[in-house]
Amino acid sequence: MLIFIVRRTLVGLALLLVASFVFYMLVDFTIDPLSDLRTSTDPSAPLQMEQRIEMLNLDAPPWERYIDWLFAFVTGDLGVAWRTGRSVSDLLGTAIISTIQLVSFATVAAIVLGVAVGIVSALRQYSSFDYLITFFAFLMFSLPSFWVAVLLKQWGAIGFNDFLVDPVIAPAVIVGISLVAGFLWQLAVGGGAKRRAIHGVIAALTVALVLVYMQVTNWWLQPRLDWVLLTLTSLGIAVTVTTLSTGLRNRRSLYTALTCVVLGLVLYIPVRYYLFSMLTPSMSYGLAALLGLLAIAVGMGIGWAWRGPDWKQSARTGGITAFLIAGLIFLDKVLSYWPAYMSAPAINNRPIQTIGDRAPNLGGNFWVQVLDGYTHLILPSLALMLISFAGYTRFSRGSMLEVMNQDYIRTARAKGINERTVVMRHGFRNSLIPLASIVPVDIIGLIGGALITERIFSRPGMGQLFIANLGADDIDPVMAYLVIVAFLAILANIVADLLYAALDPRIRVNA
Amino acid sequence: MKIRRLTAFVAGAAAAALAVSACTPPDEGGDTGTGGDDSGIQTDTAVTVGWNQPFYEYNTSSATGNATANANILYLIQESFNYYDPELNLVQNEDFGTYEVINEDPLTVEYTFADDNKWSDGTPVDAVDLLLQWGATSGHFNTIGDEEIEYDDEGNVTNQDEVDSNVYFNGTSATVGYIGDVELSEDNKTLTATYDVNYADWEVNLTGAAVPAHVVAMHALDIEDPAEAKQAVKDAFENEDTEALAAISKFWNEGFAFGDSLPEDKSLYLSNGAYELVEMVAGQYVTLQAREDFTGSHAASVERITVRYNEDPMQQVLALENGEIDVMAPQATADLVEALNGLGDGYTVLTGIDGTYEHVDLQFTNGGPFDPETYGGDEETALKVRQAFLKLIPRQEIVDKLIKPLNPEAEVRQSYNVVPGSPMYDGVVAANGQAEAFPLENDVAGAEALMEEAGVETPVDVRILFGASNARRQQQYAIMAEAFNQSGLFNLVDASSDDWGSMLDSATDQYDAALFGWQSTSTAVTAGNANYGTGQINNFYGYSNPEVDELQDQLSVETDPAEQERLLGEIEAHLVNDAFGVTIFQFPSVTAYRNTVTGIDPITISPTVFYGFWNWGTTGDTAEDPGEEG
Repeated sequence: MLIFIVRRTLVGLALLLVASFVFYMLVDFTIDPLSDLRTSTDPSAPLQMEQRIEMLNLDAPPWERYIDWLFAFVTGDLGVAWRTGRSVSDLLGTAIISTIQLVSFATVAAIVLGVAVGIVSALRQYSSFDYLITFFAFLMFSLPSFWVAVLLKQWGAIGFNDFLVDPVIAPAVIVGISLVAGFLWQLAVGGGAKRRAIHGVIAALTVALVLVYMQVTNWWLQPRLDWVLLTLTSLGIAVTVTTLSTGLRNRRSLYTALTCVVLGLVLYIPVRYYLFSMLTPSMSYGLAALLGLLAIAVGMGIGWAWRGPDWKQSARTGGITAFLIAGLIFLDKVLSYWPAYMSAPAINNRPIQTIGDRAPNLGGNFWVQVLDGYTHLILPSLALMLISFAGYTRFSRGSMLEVMNQDYIRTARAKGINERTVVMRHGFRNSLIPLASIVPVDIIGLIGGALITERIFSRPGMGQLFIANLGADDIDPVMAYLVIVAFLAILANIVADLLYAALDPRIRVNA
Repeated sequence: MKIRRLTAFVAGAAAAALAVSACTPPDEGGDTGTGGDDSGIQTDTAVTVGWNQPFYEYNTSSATGNATANANILYLIQESFNYYDPELNLVQNEDFGTYEVINEDPLTVEYTFADDNKWSDGTPVDAVDLLLQWGATSGHFNTIGDEEIEYDDEGNVTNQDEVDSNVYFNGTSATVGYIGDVELSEDNKTLTATYDVNYADWEVNLTGAAVPAHVVAMHALDIEDPAEAKQAVKDAFENEDTEALAAISKFWNEGFAFGDSLPEDKSLYLSNGAYELVEMVAGQYVTLQAREDFTGSHAASVERITVRYNEDPMQQVLALENGEIDVMAPQATADLVEALNGLGDGYTVLTGIDGTYEHVDLQFTNGGPFDPETYGGDEETALKVRQAFLKLIPRQEIVDKLIKPLNPEAEVRQSYNVVPGSPMYDGVVAANGQAEAFPLENDVAGAEALMEEAGVETPVDVRILFGASNARRQQQYAIMAEAFNQSGLFNLVDASSDDWGSMLDSATDQYDAALFGWQSTSTAVTAGNANYGTGQINNFYGYSNPEVDELQDQLSVETDPAEQERLLGEIEAHLVNDAFGVTIFQFPSVTAYRNTVTGIDPITISPTVFYGFWNWGTTGDTAEDPGEEG
């Protein structure tokens, strides 16, 4: 094991060295730091050109510059972006944070949704639902991201903002949306005709009711989770989490989740109106995270209080449920600023944003800024998500199908275990193992590769850093970006291998 | 038993919930429902301008800060002795100060600062600030040459200690260096600058202070009091105090570059103009707020101006449509203008020209078709071939097909030196004869006659160098190739390359004619010397005409505008007679804005769209709505 790690690390380092040399030569060949001075009519241009040649050592052969760069780099000096005089480590600091913000939400959402849809699709192999998802996945795969991004801006931002001017959905449209939703749901549910019909109708009615409710209560202009919505969503969360975590048969677990719901409803007013308002001046993401942890602790406490021999399962259910419900209350507080946000001069009733990561001249307290962050994040996240979602769907479908054909699944069924346990415990868990080898690589790919999305949405992340500095003929930031991404890619591969070995006892890492 | 216990618990909890919800939630503040918090949202009117490069440094004279993106912002926060009006006349700005030539030979200019001219911290803007500007950019005080500074590859200085103990201002201007000596009055209100060599463009040479001198000295020399700091700067320059100047130069070079946000120390971004910086997010935007205590005639009319960065013009169009920016002025392309025109009634699209012009220059000394050596040193033959070639360049067709769709008013540019629309343009064009020598209706007969006289075997291969990835130049080449190939006199060869910029100088045997643009940043009349003078830096073609050099020498010391115009006309007449090259068009510009913004009136050269910010206004819909506040 140790030998394996050491060997992989050494190979990785050698690879990095070679890669950095190739990168340097390619970048050096591409850029021309004197380009702007060549077409300048400024009488001082020749003088400036001389200074620049001297400063960047342009008279020396590229390999000499590479060696200088390499020695500085290995001693921790990432260099300076000569055009702006800013140090590269400074630039990287901001860029990485922005990229992680963007990528983390998109990745989590894509994995959760992709895996869920992929597994349902596998369980309904060769059904209409399966074909539909397959078609959709390939469609998403083949769409160029810049095009998706521009379409999202056109419809998701400009179109949606236009809709908000007078947010009324025509009854015919509500009916149409409900029918489509009901149809899709009955496809996913599968089974006999009666089962499908019941589920389809229920789903269609639910969607229609929600849309009518939103219309009637003017939800688009004053979005919120009031008692009705909070109760419904909390109950939904409790049942879903319990089902996935332990199954509804485990009564203690169910009661834990329901207790969390009740507690959430009791605490809704005090937390939302008193605690959050009181905390507003000192609120920060760190504090929000602490409150989240507190919610988890309370949820686990409730699970423990219900006791029983398997209190750990109840605690798990409670923790997840409580965290999600606390999240809902947080979201409600953020949404309460929506009308104020909309009417701010900087927003001017067009809340969904297409460039940057914050609106200039907005001002506002923590909640307004969180809301502003969301309205900037939503479109680029969607763009990233749509594309990687397709990949995860295909991947988890394939791996689930393979697992469900294994002997141990047949054995489990033969023992009389119910279908939920077979699918969730024996099928689903094992189908995740191959995912462990692609998720780390994928995340790294996104950190380095959200290039197009970042550029189109003009977010100041890693991709922007790379493109902007390449355009500005600034080699140091470009090299730092390339080396970091290459390093992370190598690291991700090693991590993936180790993770795989840790999860699957049949795999041994041999030196 | 257990179930009963649960029921009891749930009932109890529900009762508690009801009890809690029975007490009314705190005042929801009307419709906003924010729980009584002040949302803290800004209500000032703002105009947001989209730009393709982010602002990053306050000192626009330093080597790093010298960029349009910085200059635009500084135009809003600093005044200067003069500015360009829409007709590109230089207008003195008497709010800032006045200047006049008090002696023609040697050229001596007296700058006088207005009495109430102050930085936003209350310290006067005066001659000491201008002294620092001259001292820094003239390079006279540098005790260490550029060549003595050793760099490693990142541009990190390796002999930092040696540099630190020497004076080194990194942003040097050759023309400020012509000013050999300056003298300050006792009250620091007046600076008298004496030129070593007379300089025709003295008016745009020293126009204001890039950075406040007292701030530099307070930081570099650890002085608390602004007046004392000013005196320290004055003393340092007057006594050539190397130690003090070394510290001053170091701070001048590096101290005004910003990081991710505005520095805590407000003195690092003082204003003496209509606006002051209030917010900056690196790589995204910078916000300026109107100064209430500013009394000049160019006072702000909108409360806030935000300049937002996005380098992709098509994304700026979407942002304009979505209300995230109000004004944009990107480089014009056909797709972009079409997209802007498609925005509809709520927007205005202005087309015009910008400071860059397209031209074709010919190679004189590369052994190609335009080099006399090719014909055994026969100057006449080479001249005829050059003239014939230039007569055939379809200048009008290029403008009609490529530029008119973007700027309906576009015309062929007829001057090598002067920007169309600037005061000297008509006079110089009348004198240079370019329009007659190379008529817009291509003179095929004339070209044929010239080639016949030259007795050169046709068609002659001519290799054209241009930027390979530049779509507009590819189209120009296609139009030219068609016209030339039809004439049968020349055969154009595509020598395009992405490396064209360095090939101009380093690979003169790879091309016979070059197609590219020169960018003008001012109306300086001497700028052309670099392009046409014998052995000058931008003269890649071996062109040499002693009479042109002589006239350039006269021009560079001529300070009378009428005389400058006459000399430029003569110089250009030589360029036409020698068939040096032709100018084709001025780059089209486009400015688009929402009709909620008024008073936008861009000019041809820097600061383009930002010109006339004091006339800007906003109507209706960005104003705040009282009562909506949480």
